[in-house]
Amino acid sequence: MVTKEELEERILAIVREDILKVDESFTPQANLIEAGLDSLALTQLMLAIEESTGLWVDESLLTEETVANVITLTALVYAELQQH
Amino acid sequence: MPNYSNTDVVPLTGADCFLRAIDSEARRSGQAGHLSQLVLRLGPAFDVDRFRRLIEEVSRANPIVRSPIRRQAVVGPPVYRLDRAVPPPGVSINLHSLAAVVAANDSEAPALGAIPDLFCRRLNDRLDATHGRLLCFDLVPRGGVHPGTDLAMTWQHMLFDGSGSELFVEHLAACSSDPSRGRELPINRAAGGKSSSAVAELAATAGERGQMAQAWNTYMHGVAAKRPTSLAGPLRQAQQDLRYDQVRLEGSDAVNAIDRAKKMAGFLTPMLFFLAVSLRAHQAVADLRGRSSTSWIVPLPVDLRPKGGQGEVFRTHVSLLWFQVTTDETRDLAGLIEVLKVQRLSAIRAKLVEAGVAALDFARYAPARLYSHMARRTFGGELGSFFFAYTGEFAPAAESLCGATILDAFHAPSVPASPGSALVFSRRGGGLSAVHVYQRDSVDPADLGVLREQLRRDLGVQ
Repeated sequence: MVTKEELEERILAIVREDILKVDESFTPQANLIEAGLDSLALTQLMLAIEESTGLWVDESLLTEETVANVITLTALVYAELQQH
Repeated sequence: MPNYSNTDVVPLTGADCFLRAIDSEARRSGQAGHLSQLVLRLGPAFDVDRFRRLIEEVSRANPIVRSPIRRQAVVGPPVYRLDRAVPPPGVSINLHSLAAVVAANDSEAPALGAIPDLFCRRLNDRLDATHGRLLCFDLVPRGGVHPGTDLAMTWQHMLFDGSGSELFVEHLAACSSDPSRGRELPINRAAGGKSSSAVAELAATAGERGQMAQAWNTYMHGVAAKRPTSLAGPLRQAQQDLRYDQVRLEGSDAVNAIDRAKKMAGFLTPMLFFLAVSLRAHQAVADLRGRSSTSWIVPLPVDLRPKGGQGEVFRTHVSLLWFQVTTDETRDLAGLIEVLKVQRLSAIRAKLVEAGVAALDFARYAPARLYSHMARRTFGGELGSFFFAYTGEFAPAAESLCGATILDAFHAPSVPASPGSALVFSRRGGGLSAVHVYQRDSVDPADLGVLREQLRRDLGVQ
C-alpha cells in the first residue's frame, strides 16, 4: 500500500513531467488551474494516476477544492484508495 | 524590430489544412469562403483614426496577417509566404454610416440593441487567402440608448482559431493603451507548435503516426455507424447565405446557467453541458419537423495551446473529438450529459486527441478537399450535424480598445450551407452568449422559435 507521501511524490512528478511540463520550482502548494490545468489536462492527469495506482477517481469528486493543488488532489486520491 | 526575413515562410498546421478543406468546400458548393468573425460591442469614445494607425502598426510588425497562403511545391504542405506579404496595412477597415445599416432584428441582445445585418452578410464573402487578403474589420456606429461602436473582425478561418483571435484582441487592446508596447507577436515556425510536438513525443516514426491517423479514421467510422442528419440536410449546391442571432443572458440568468453547467457537467467541462443543450435545441427542431428518429454527430474542438503563458496567436491549434447521440439519448438533459462524458473519456483514454492531430498533420500534404470529401463520404453526405464550440471567458485581459470600453463580445464562425447550423457559447462581462449561425433557407421562423425556446429552457432561464 502506497503511503500518502509516496503518492504525493508520484502525483507531483506526473504533474511536472507529463501534464504541465514545469520544472522543480512548481511546488505541491501551487494552484493547478492557475498553472494551466484545463479540462483535457485534468482528464489526462487522472488517467496517469489510474495507470500509477490502479484507481479511477469518479469525475464527480473533482471540484475546484479537490483539484486546487497537488496536496488536495493527493488527499482525495489517498482517501479513495483507502476505501477500495 | 520585427525579426522576419524577406524569405520567411510559415507552414500551415494540420488543423489549418482541415479548415482549408472546409473553405474549399464552401467555395465549391456555396460560392463563399469559410470565414470566422468576432464582434466587439464598444462603448462611446472609440477613436477610429487611432484604430487605423494601430492596425497598420500591428500588420507591419506581423506580416503573417497579410501573407498569401500557397504551396511551395506540388506535393509540399501549404505555407504562409511572408516574403510575398501585401504592403501594409494589407487589412481593410470599413467604416459604415449608421443610416446605411440594417439591424439583424432576430437578435436578443436587449441591452445594446440588435447586431448590424452587414456583419452577418460579411460571413458570406470570400477573402482571398492566395493573395494575402486574410483579415478585415467593419465598424458601425451605434445610436440609441447605449451609443458606441460595433466592431466585427472577420478572418480567413486559418489565420486564427477562436483562442488565437481572442489573444489578438487582447494584444490590440494592450497596444492601444500602451504606445510603447511592442507590436510584434511571437510565432512558432514549426508546423504545429504543441500539437505536433505532442504527437512527436507519442510516436516518433511516420509509421507510428500513420497508425494513429488510421486509429482516428476508424474512430470516425465508428461514430458514423448511425447516419447523421442536419437541419439543412446532406450536401446540396446552395449559395451560402448565413445570418446569426445572439441570445445573451445577463445577471442572475447568466450566473445560474454557468453554475448549472458546472454542476451538471463538471467544473472544468461545462462545454459538455452546452453541447448537450445545443443537441436538445436541434432535436426540438427535428421534433417540430416530425423527424422522430435522428442521429446527431458533432465535432468538439479541443484547444491544444499551452495554458498559463503567452501562447502562439496565429494559425489553428486544435484537435477534434466527435460525439454521436441518438434521439432517445437527447430526451433527458442529465442523461445526455452522462453519455457525452462517457464518450469524451473513452476518446481521451484511447488517445484520440493525439490521433486526431496525427491525422490532421498527414493531410497537410493532401489536396485541399480531402477532408470534406472523406467526411461527406463517411457521414452519408453530411459534414456533421452542426458545428459547436464553447470558448469560455472572452478575451478577459482586454477591457477597452482605442478609448472605448468593451461592453460585450462574442464569436460568430461561419458554417457551410450544409449542415447549415452552428451554436457557439462564450462569456463576457458577467453575461453568457449563445450565438446561433444558420443558413437562412434551411430554417424558418418556427424552427428558430422552437430552437431558442428549448435553449433558454435548458439554460434555466426564468
